[in-house]
Amino acid sequence: MKFLFKSTVLLLPLAFIAMFYILLTEEDAYPGTDYKTFDIPKFQLENLENTKLIDNDEIKGNFILNVWASWCITCRVEHPFLMNLKNQGIKIIGLNYKDERFDAIQWLDKYGNPYEIIFHDLKGSLALDLGVTGAPETFLVSNGKVVAHYQGEVNDAVWSNVFLPIIKEEGMF
Amino acid sequence: MIIEISHYLSILATGLFLLIGLISFITTDTKYTAKLISKTFSHGFLLLLVSFIIYIWLAITDNFSVQYIANHSNTELPVFYKISSIWSAHEGSMFLWIIFIALWGFIFNINIKNDEVLKPKSIGVISLILVGFLLFLLLTSNPFETILPIAPLNGADINPVLQDPALAIHPPTLYLGYVGFVIPFACAISFLINGNPDVRWEKLVQKWSVLAWVFLTIGITLGSWWAYYELGWGGYWFWDPVENVALMPWLAATAFLHSLSVSIKSSHLRVWTILLSISVFSLSLFGAFIVRSGIIDSVHSFANDPDRGLYLLMFIGIILIISLSLFILRFSIIRPIGNIKSFSKESFISINNIFFGSLIFCVMLGVTYPLVYEYLFDQKISVGAPFYNAIFIPIVLIASLFLFFSVDSKWSRNLNFNFFRSPIIVSIILSIASIILLIYFFQTNNFTFLISVYVGLLIIFRYCIEIFNSFYFKKFINPFSAIAHLALGLLLLSISFNSLLSTERALSIRLDSTEEYKDLKIYLKDIKVVKNSNHDSIKALFFIENSRGDIVELSPEKRRYRTRGQITTETAIHISPLRDIYITIGDQLDNGNWVVNVQLNYFIRWIWFSGCLMAIAGIVLIFSKRKV
Amino acid sequence: MHPHRRKRLFNIILVLLFSTSGIGLILYSLNTNLDYFFTPTELTNINIPEDKRIKIGGMVLENSVVREQSKVIFTVTDYKNYIEVVYEGIVPDLFKEGSGVVALGFMQNETFYAQEVLAKHDENYMPPNLSINNDN
Repeated sequence: MKFLFKSTVLLLPLAFIAMFYILLTEEDAYPGTDYKTFDIPKFQLENLENTKLIDNDEIKGNFILNVWASWCITCRVEHPFLMNLKNQGIKIIGLNYKDERFDAIQWLDKYGNPYEIIFHDLKGSLALDLGVTGAPETFLVSNGKVVAHYQGEVNDAVWSNVFLPIIKEEGMF
Repeated sequence: MIIEISHYLSILATGLFLLIGLISFITTDTKYTAKLISKTFSHGFLLLLVSFIIYIWLAITDNFSVQYIANHSNTELPVFYKISSIWSAHEGSMFLWIIFIALWGFIFNINIKNDEVLKPKSIGVISLILVGFLLFLLLTSNPFETILPIAPLNGADINPVLQDPALAIHPPTLYLGYVGFVIPFACAISFLINGNPDVRWEKLVQKWSVLAWVFLTIGITLGSWWAYYELGWGGYWFWDPVENVALMPWLAATAFLHSLSVSIKSSHLRVWTILLSISVFSLSLFGAFIVRSGIIDSVHSFANDPDRGLYLLMFIGIILIISLSLFILRFSIIRPIGNIKSFSKESFISINNIFFGSLIFCVMLGVTYPLVYEYLFDQKISVGAPFYNAIFIPIVLIASLFLFFSVDSKWSRNLNFNFFRSPIIVSIILSIASIILLIYFFQTNNFTFLISVYVGLLIIFRYCIEIFNSFYFKKFINPFSAIAHLALGLLLLSISFNSLLSTERALSIRLDSTEEYKDLKIYLKDIKVVKNSNHDSIKALFFIENSRGDIVELSPEKRRYRTRGQITTETAIHISPLRDIYITIGDQLDNGNWVVNVQLNYFIRWIWFSGCLMAIAGIVLIFSKRKV
Repeated sequence: MHPHRRKRLFNIILVLLFSTSGIGLILYSLNTNLDYFFTPTELTNINIPEDKRIKIGGMVLENSVVREQSKVIFTVTDYKNYIEVVYEGIVPDLFKEGSGVVALGFMQNETFYAQEVLAKHDENYMPPNLSINNDN
């Protein structure tokens, strides 16, 4: 009886901890990730820098689509990493999300511009079609097809755990 | 850079606390080491405090080179909210949590004399716990990280829902409660290490535990009140996982205080008391784990890092293994001598422990079952209010009935239990009379309502008689117990009346016209758009007339914040002792009418008043000279 | 058996009896009070009794929100299947077309009658504790 009581007192909480360990490690380590593939929806948006209209035809090949805004502090944190990617020769296209043109350009002048082209999505219409819920969010696009969608800041850990495996699989870059 | 000073001070404090932990467990206790440990702990606390004060100063002066401050504060915020922005997200709130553990340790340290046998090891335990949390802060969630090389000019706008005085003081109060139980935990561990059954650790920790319980009670009450007026749903408790993980430590702490009152007087229930002191503290940590690991709600947690959850889980695991092994090792010394007399106070309190244990078990089940279910069957489920009602109502009512009969019981004495003692009879008759009046008045046959009110009234009448006796016949009364249990009775009554009488209705109402709802005539006088510095709002003006012809003005709002485009509802509430008139406005319909939600929430103030009364009871105990 | 031992055995049996029946009762009430969560696609494959309270979740379809007196009627979709939801009352602040929603209520003839509507996402990221409050 005494032994039974003692072992329950010790084992019950430990079993509980073990259960949570399984639940925690089982859970998707990167909850912001979505691996659905779909075509980039039809769109027509202004280029942030020269207000020319851009549509699907102007973006071809493999690239990263990054949703950002000058009001978004996390984008500011993410920024050095994007500059790093750009220097590695990776093509990044920007989707400026619900932002004022002037603020956005000023932001790029100050910190540097990692993007090849930037769409100015003032109303968030393309963002809505893409399923964007906030900023920053990042899409991996392979020949006009979205192959991964990540919500939140992209950093070294996210890049090597979420993006690199798909990039290898798809044979991009 | 100033932030680096703050950062290094915390690292230095971590080292110092580790040192204290090692000294207290390696050396044998002497006068000299006790003094050394006590002094060093105070210094460690001062380092940490200075580090935190620097951090507050950086937040006040808008130093946006600190990433955390840039993310959660803004130049336009008033100073008060600049400070409270520190605990509006994970890293900063963890920092506050640590400061509070150190603060409790410090106050304990300067209040307890160095010749107290349990003190050095207790301080050692607190120090090691601090080391655990400081490493968690520094390694996985560093609030001192900077944005280099150029700091942003302005921070992100703080979420408008967070710009609220109740929310600014609610987390700190709750944290003070949670981490306050580090004191009884540390003393229990110190007692187990010491191994001398004659050392009365229970006496040492009583007032500390009650104080922590007071903070926890106030914190939960504040949270309930905040959700009521800010979120716009009009309820006071939602059985949300985050609320549940705050409720579990409270239930455990309440059971602990009951159990403690027995163990102080005799060797009975010591096993319970020690196990409960361990569970209160680990349940507090478990709450931190649930909220911060993102295991419950993983969508859109800012920078969700699985390592954090894992670290906290391992930390709780280590604490549990060490404390429970110690408990098993010392089990023979804390076993009670002799049996508990039947119908003594001790017997009632041990039954009470079982009731509280079942409640905690149920809440735990409700929190974890959906996770396990989804893992096993890949089907999302949720456990809602019906489950908790089905469990809580019967258990709380039966426990309250036991409480009613326990008032007559005596410490360590067999009671010749007489059901026909006058106070019992008088309370039963008064309660039955009131119930008959209620049935006549409200025309209700809702069984749950009647039985809850009946039990609530039994407790209230019984304790009122007790208080009357103490005034006129100088009969001994424990004021803490009397006030706290009166508050329980009041809580039962107000929750019952609230759920029976409260109603709500969505009305569609035209400008300059009147709709009737219950006894109210609701007249929409005016609706207009108001521009403010950082938001636009649609502001309505209602004249509400009740059956007696009293008119009140209420103006609910719907706000749209410009920087984030976030929409918030500002409720308008007319407060009176019996009921709240609670109005929110919705959207405009195509025909020009406005959707307006009207709630009549009866006795809702009394629910929070009961919570406050419980806290007052705790304060009474802390300041009472008499030993209870 | 020794009377002392018999008494102890009796105690053990009593404790076991009470605890198992208690846990049994709790598990029973847990199982009868669960709210299952379905997406519109899952709902097309199974039949839900009319008196079973469930949760549904998905996105609010664009241009589907209609207001009639104090009722709100909208379509929830996972972009594969659709389901019509009727709700009487004021929808939460974060409720928007093209945004996530969770509704609690009953299925009746292919229509979902919601008792509670909770909006999910927000425009921006916010601290985890708050998003929990909003998802409530």
